[in-house]
Amino acid sequence: MAVIQTRNLTYMYPTATKPAIRDVSIKIEKGEFVLITGPSGCGKTTLCRCFNGLIPHFYQGEINGEITVAGLNILEHPTSELAKHVGLVFQNPENQLFALSVEKDVAFGLENLGYPREKMQKRVDWALNLTGIYELRERAPHELSGGQQQRVAIASVLAMQPEIMVLDEPTSFLDPLTAKKIFEVIYELNNTLGITVVLVEHRLDLTAQYSNHIIIMNQGKVVLDGEPREILSSKETRLIGVGIPKATRLYQILKEDDGVKLGKKIPLSSEEMTKLLREVIKT
Amino acid sequence: MSVFDGLKFRRVYSPIHNLDPRIKFIYVCAIFVIAIMFGELLPLIILFTFQIPFVLLAGVKREWIRSMRGAAFLATIIFLTNFVFAYLGARGIGQSLENAVAMTLRFIVLIESFSIFFLTTSPDHLGLALEQTHVPYEFTFAFTTAVRFVPVLAEEAQTIMDAQKARGLELERGNFLKRIRNYIPILIPLIVSAIRRSLELAEAMESRAWGATKKRTNLYVLKMHKGDFILIAITIGILAVAIYIRLYLPIPSINQLLANIN
Ligand SMILES: Nc1ncnc2c1ncn2[C@@H]1O[C@H](COP(=O)(O)OP(=O)(O)OP(=O)(O)O)[C@@H](O)[C@H]1O
Ligand SMILES: [Mg+2]
Repeated sequence: MAVIQTRNLTYMYPTATKPAIRDVSIKIEKGEFVLITGPSGCGKTTLCRCFNGLIPHFYQGEINGEITVAGLNILEHPTSELAKHVGLVFQNPENQLFALSVEKDVAFGLENLGYPREKMQKRVDWALNLTGIYELRERAPHELSGGQQQRVAIASVLAMQPEIMVLDEPTSFLDPLTAKKIFEVIYELNNTLGITVVLVEHRLDLTAQYSNHIIIMNQGKVVLDGEPREILSSKETRLIGVGIPKATRLYQILKEDDGVKLGKKIPLSSEEMTKLLREVIKT
Repeated sequence: MSVFDGLKFRRVYSPIHNLDPRIKFIYVCAIFVIAIMFGELLPLIILFTFQIPFVLLAGVKREWIRSMRGAAFLATIIFLTNFVFAYLGARGIGQSLENAVAMTLRFIVLIESFSIFFLTTSPDHLGLALEQTHVPYEFTFAFTTAVRFVPVLAEEAQTIMDAQKARGLELERGNFLKRIRNYIPILIPLIVSAIRRSLELAEAMESRAWGATKKRTNLYVLKMHKGDFILIAITIGILAVAIYIRLYLPIPSINQLLANIN
């Protein structure tokens, strides 16, 4: 069953003269780990804003086409209602944390939904534990490091137990190692809790291995949509300027230029590449 | 950065910090009323010393002394005007002096108790107290968010100032009007960034179900502890004693006491 489905979705910001996204038709299944990528300004953030109704309810502007999320037509439901089903984590952690303690920030959504206190405390502790920041619960969010802040932002969305988590470049302010840890947390949520993850990301080196669906956008349109190994090794992807994982690129070069084929499965990470190479060396 | 450090709040734990802000506020009001009730020096001295244990218990001595020092200038003015007018009103020097000191002390007691309140109440505690006294949540939220973002904006102002100076902006040049104009290249980026920040904030709030129900709940509730009941008892006690003294006991002036000793 598709949890997110759009048909010919086109949207134009009120101040713009041309649509930020055009004719987007995608289908995201329950439990998928979806990567959305593409050059800067291609409309990734805009698409994310559609998933929880910020577009059109918060941004106004002109929207055409169809979009249903978790079975709800977003045009007919306010963001506050969609928020129960879709959690949105933004790029800049600093501007999405506003309470004076981590715990309170994580509870914010549940408070808005009117949860009773005991239940809320349990949920908050659960989310803090899953994201590995339970020890920080009494600290002030603005005194934390970027990586810790981003974990708080994820926890605060997670606490509402949405079926879908949409993360818009959640690690762009972080160093690669911290980013890797955040991605591992996100993968855990997808893998063990079955939450559908939609991740907007440029660093495919770190994330492609987790995904089972990839969407590539360019100039407001979806240009490629499908299975990661296939798409990342295709020529079109390279021409758009997407940062293909080095392992995948290496495999491709060996295959195209030298006619060497290392195993059947196209590697998406250095670990997978290492495995392939080991097998070749052994035989 | 040191200029802005004062804007950051620190989380401190002490028996006084843990008290319910509402009770603390009632206590402060009671002290306020008592200070107004008495114009004599002796009870005001007692009132002043009575609060020093609170300061020590809260461990905010240094901050407290700083805020008292801040009040010194006003206190001096109050002392001088009271003294001059009492003296011109043809009272004796001793009497005028005592009167002026009493008025000054009354002012100091007011400052003292309010500064204890604000020095020992963290903003989120205060926000919570506002919320639970049925102040609309929008207002409380605005308050805590302001506390949260003022240091951030201050830091940003500093960054912009440094950046503009690096590009050749001279702040300290020209006459008064020119100097004000010099700040425009700092204000505009600051305002633009603050607006962008607030939009992002609004977006994040919407995404976390802001306004989903009328009946918003709260993770924290203020509960009264032993300390709060003790403070209530103390408040009622001193109020009762103060009223009794005011109504039934004559209060000797320091001058009289001194005269008796001799
Ligand atoms: N609030 C807005 N008002 C008007 N136009 C906007 C707004 N936000 C984005 N746009 C425009 O919409 C287009 C798509 O922007 P969007 O932010 O969705 O790109 P993106 O893929 O997220 O880019 P990036 O990788 O840089 O984050 C751009 O041309 C941008 O200028
Ligand atoms: Mg973006």
